[in-house]
Amino acid sequence: MLFRDTGTIIALSGLASTAQAQEKLQSALAPASDQASGIAVLWWAMLIGAIIIFAAVMVVLGTGLWRARRKETRLSGIASRNLVLTAGVAIPLLVLIFLVGGSLFLGKDLSAKAPDNAQTIEVIGWRWWWEIRYLDENDQLIATTANEMHVPVDRPVRLVLKSGDVIHSFWVPNLHGKTDLMPGKVNSSWFTAKREGVFYGQCAEFCGTQHALMGFRVMAQPEPAFAAWLARQAENARAPTTEEQALGREVFVDVGCAACHDIRGVTPRAMTTGRDPKAPPLIHDLRAMGKAELARQDSPIPAPDLTHFGSRTTLAAGARPATKGHIGGWLTDPQGIKPGALMPPTMLEPQELHALVAYLQSLE
Amino acid sequence: MQQRFVIDVSGYSRFNPSRRAPIWWGVLGLILIEASVVTGFITTYFYLRLMAPEWPPAGVEPPPLLLPSLTVVLLLISCATMRWGGIAINREKYTQFVVAMFSSVALALGVLVLRWVQFHDLDFRWDEHAYGSVVWTIMGFHFIHVVSAALGTAVVGILGMMRFFNPRQQIAVIVDTLYWNFVGLVWIPLYVVMYWVPRWL
Amino acid sequence: MKKTRIRSDGPISARPDTEEATATLDRTWLSPPGFIGWFTHVNHRQIGYRFIVTSLIFFALAGVLALIMRLQLMSPENSLLGPELFNQFFTMHGTTMMFLFAVPIMEGMGIYLVPLMIGTRDMAFPRLNAFGYYVYLTAGVVLFASLFIGMAPASGWFAYVPLSGKAFSPEVGMDVWTTLITFIEISALTAAVELVATIFKQRAPGMSLDRMPLFVWAILVMSFMIIFAMPPVMTASVLLMLDRTLDMQFFVVAGGGEPLLWQHLFWFFGHPEVYIILVPALGMISMIITTFTRRPIFGYTAMVLSLVAIGFVSFGLWVHHMFTTGLPHLGLSFFTAASAMITIPSGVQIFCWIATLWGARIRFATPMLFILGFFAIFVIGGLTGVMVASIPFDMQVHDTYFVVAHFHYVLIGGAVLPLFGAIYYWYPKVTGQMMSERLGRWSFGLIFAGLNLTFFPMHQLGLEGMPRRVYTYLEVMGWGSLNLFITGGAFILAAGFALSFWNMFISRTRGITAGPNPWQADSLEWATASPPANYNFRHIPVVRSRTPIWDDEEADERQLVTGLSNERREILLTTVLDAEPQGVLILPSPTIWPFLLAIAVALGFIGIIFSPWWFVVGFFLSFFMIVGWLWPRRPWQEE
Repeated sequence: MLFRDTGTIIALSGLASTAQAQEKLQSALAPASDQASGIAVLWWAMLIGAIIIFAAVMVVLGTGLWRARRKETRLSGIASRNLVLTAGVAIPLLVLIFLVGGSLFLGKDLSAKAPDNAQTIEVIGWRWWWEIRYLDENDQLIATTANEMHVPVDRPVRLVLKSGDVIHSFWVPNLHGKTDLMPGKVNSSWFTAKREGVFYGQCAEFCGTQHALMGFRVMAQPEPAFAAWLARQAENARAPTTEEQALGREVFVDVGCAACHDIRGVTPRAMTTGRDPKAPPLIHDLRAMGKAELARQDSPIPAPDLTHFGSRTTLAAGARPATKGHIGGWLTDPQGIKPGALMPPTMLEPQELHALVAYLQSLE
Repeated sequence: MQQRFVIDVSGYSRFNPSRRAPIWWGVLGLILIEASVVTGFITTYFYLRLMAPEWPPAGVEPPPLLLPSLTVVLLLISCATMRWGGIAINREKYTQFVVAMFSSVALALGVLVLRWVQFHDLDFRWDEHAYGSVVWTIMGFHFIHVVSAALGTAVVGILGMMRFFNPRQQIAVIVDTLYWNFVGLVWIPLYVVMYWVPRWL
Repeated sequence: MKKTRIRSDGPISARPDTEEATATLDRTWLSPPGFIGWFTHVNHRQIGYRFIVTSLIFFALAGVLALIMRLQLMSPENSLLGPELFNQFFTMHGTTMMFLFAVPIMEGMGIYLVPLMIGTRDMAFPRLNAFGYYVYLTAGVVLFASLFIGMAPASGWFAYVPLSGKAFSPEVGMDVWTTLITFIEISALTAAVELVATIFKQRAPGMSLDRMPLFVWAILVMSFMIIFAMPPVMTASVLLMLDRTLDMQFFVVAGGGEPLLWQHLFWFFGHPEVYIILVPALGMISMIITTFTRRPIFGYTAMVLSLVAIGFVSFGLWVHHMFTTGLPHLGLSFFTAASAMITIPSGVQIFCWIATLWGARIRFATPMLFILGFFAIFVIGGLTGVMVASIPFDMQVHDTYFVVAHFHYVLIGGAVLPLFGAIYYWYPKVTGQMMSERLGRWSFGLIFAGLNLTFFPMHQLGLEGMPRRVYTYLEVMGWGSLNLFITGGAFILAAGFALSFWNMFISRTRGITAGPNPWQADSLEWATASPPANYNFRHIPVVRSRTPIWDDEEADERQLVTGLSNERREILLTTVLDAEPQGVLILPSPTIWPFLLAIAVALGFIGIIFSPWWFVVGFFLSFFMIVGWLWPRRPWQEE
């Protein structure tokens, strides 16, 4: 029958293309952690089971249809009852017990408390970027960054997940399943990266206009490299080393960027310590505001910490690589890259713009 | 194909009491729906309470007991007067029936007045916190239902004055009473949840 | 169950069916022609037909929205639809499909077919029926009006708070959404209550509960599910409306509100909702298989119990939509088990059908093709459903295209395919014409192929990391080619549906005329003319088994009821369990009041979008309309 052939072909091609999934950047089938591996194994087991069951049901159906070829026959009442009880009740029950059992075992492991030697990272979701704060064993802040997270290989990472406005969801498929960031609630999750690499993640709970481009990166590094990176992140911003960078720093302060963005050591207000996720959401429509007004803002508008912006590979939450051209484009016209983003455009003379970009790129 | 008549319903009554009438089942369905909505509100109350560090919030007292308890009594009496009306119509005591209907309406008006005073006396608004929201909403929801029950019964009373009902033809009375009983009795769980739970639990 | 006692001792003398008598009866049940007359109709067939046609129009509109979204997604960082419009589009697509198409069309099929199948002349509350339709129509028109002015809701059909609250969605779209939900709830609830009352009290004598067609059982189960599932979403939408209009704090975190409360209330409705859509389709499948195999379904009792079990168990699954919200694993595990368990009654149904059709000489007309398609697609959807019931796996694929694939498989496979089969099957009854078999086969082929080409690759996209509800994606993610392929598939799917729509349209004038029973089916609706006369049945039939028409053919005799008046609209009331005749109910004639009440209600609810005071206005206006509706015409005397 038409549908049986089509079904088989689709199943086979599905299998073939999943093999290519390894090359995709955000694939749940290319696990780089124990957690993601466990889930991937569960998936393959379920897929095999599903193919077998689907084939079996189609064969039974097909046989039933085929039986009328010569003459009309009928299943006896007993045979019918047996078919229903075996195929409709007993076998599904058995399969489901296995499936549910296996899945609950794995789930128990995944939801266990993080080991004590875990690196704690607090992630606060904002529209439409990620605030990332590294905490030490006493939950004191070590360093703050945004949209790019480094983790050590072979040591657990414990995520503390919060939201500053609406519901978001932290998802990096290579490393683990997703957990939501809920305002008013603290969620947690943990994973252990088992190899080096750059892993892509993305917000996975619809959070408004720019949900689609709320991405992030997780860089897994060997422990010494990670420690060095974290120590660097904890420092204040690098001082400008060229005239252009110095000009850029002036522009940064004068033009009003400091109203929302923090550069530790440069901006007066450290906006990213101790923010209370239960505080009222900030609903300013920045598109309607002028620069000067922004500079006068009393309450900080949540925006990424730029202290080490130059050390990040992307900007605008993974929307663009952090090259000179893209940074310039983002500053001049954020709406062109992320329509609906809460960052207003910055009108600058070309010289000032170049200087500002140079300064930002120098903040490694 | 041959046609054979085997049942003749020309002699059947065209007036259908209680469970025979589809409207009875219809109002039962309505009551089930409203009961589900009430369950939704009660669930909301308990959920918010479960998640709150303090309930009612710090500095807020649960509303006083006197007036709501009085309304429980008034509502129960009104269920009794509705029952009285049902008995009266069955015995073709038309005046008693009308009196019973309007007594129920009067009791309902009393409840509404008391409710109004209660609203006035609440020392928190609906927009201050979730506790305020849920208390005002539940009270408002019940208030509206008492209004609709009273209006419906008033219409029934007027029709009674016009001698529209008789023992065989009174399905409107029956379903109105059903609805009235629901509105009156549903106040009891709401009352317990709003006024006693914060004090007991 | 006790068998009905039918007085069949000797023939009852009845007035013969003169032409004059039949004409009188026909006039009594006539729906007035003309423009104003249209607004006074109360006959179930008119109302049911309107529900069905209106639903199909919304289906097409939502489908077009989907096609435009697919065009946007066919290449990375496409600029056909910006994020604001795209977000409105997917919100509208989901809201329209779930609220304006899927449930109303199942209700509409029920409203049209159930009275015919149980052997009565109309439903229990004809005016309420009409009212429910106008409310539904208003809701849909208002929703689409908001889209045409670019102010549609944009927080998804599920409208999670805080995003859908006033702080983050200040525009009027979400207010339109909460209003719409309330309207639809009213419409669905009135239909549900009415279906229950009709099915309980108006079945033909002898049609005890265990002789009811399986479609009627399905509608009964669906109706009870609506009665218990719709109120929670009504509660949720009212609370959200209060938050938005009166600044209440139910869902505002700063005021002690709880975003998860919304999710619990919404999904407590939302999960049964999808089974509300599925269960009637399961009933349709039983009717069609019976007809095309010429065999009653094996295991009637098991089938009924499965439907009821699905109805009950579906209320215990809702948290599986919340697996990633951080709730404790132990609690979540219960919902894994329950979600897995619901496959058992579905499995029973599937194998009862297979047992029925085993070795039967099947007529592979278009309705049957759609049913066969159902088997393949629904099983795939069910299998992926069991997969996502697993918490660890769901943590990866929740909110990705994997889930989009899953639910389109179960909804299209489980509900839309049987629905289209049902349309081909009952179209002759409704219109008196057969649909074109050739167009039907082509349509089925395109739909089946398009459906798989569109949704199967989405499983892979989800595993490759593509989340849902994204208006675009970066080129570097490598999702471009699959998305392009899927968009192609979507157009094939759309072409398939378009063919069926064309078929429905063209067959009215060009189709082969259908007699009363072109498929030689066994249920009572096929004992009426095609289309049925205004009075449905010239005489109410008496039923002696589950297959009344086949019985009558064998015995070469039809047993009937006499004594209902020709001069006024009378229907026969019977007992709930055994359908013993009890009484006669007089039904209202066509009237304008249901329409007027719908306007009053609409004014109230739409007004609320602009100011809370409109609630009071609407309330009192509605009261007056209700009085006008119910005010008894000067009582007639009992004869």
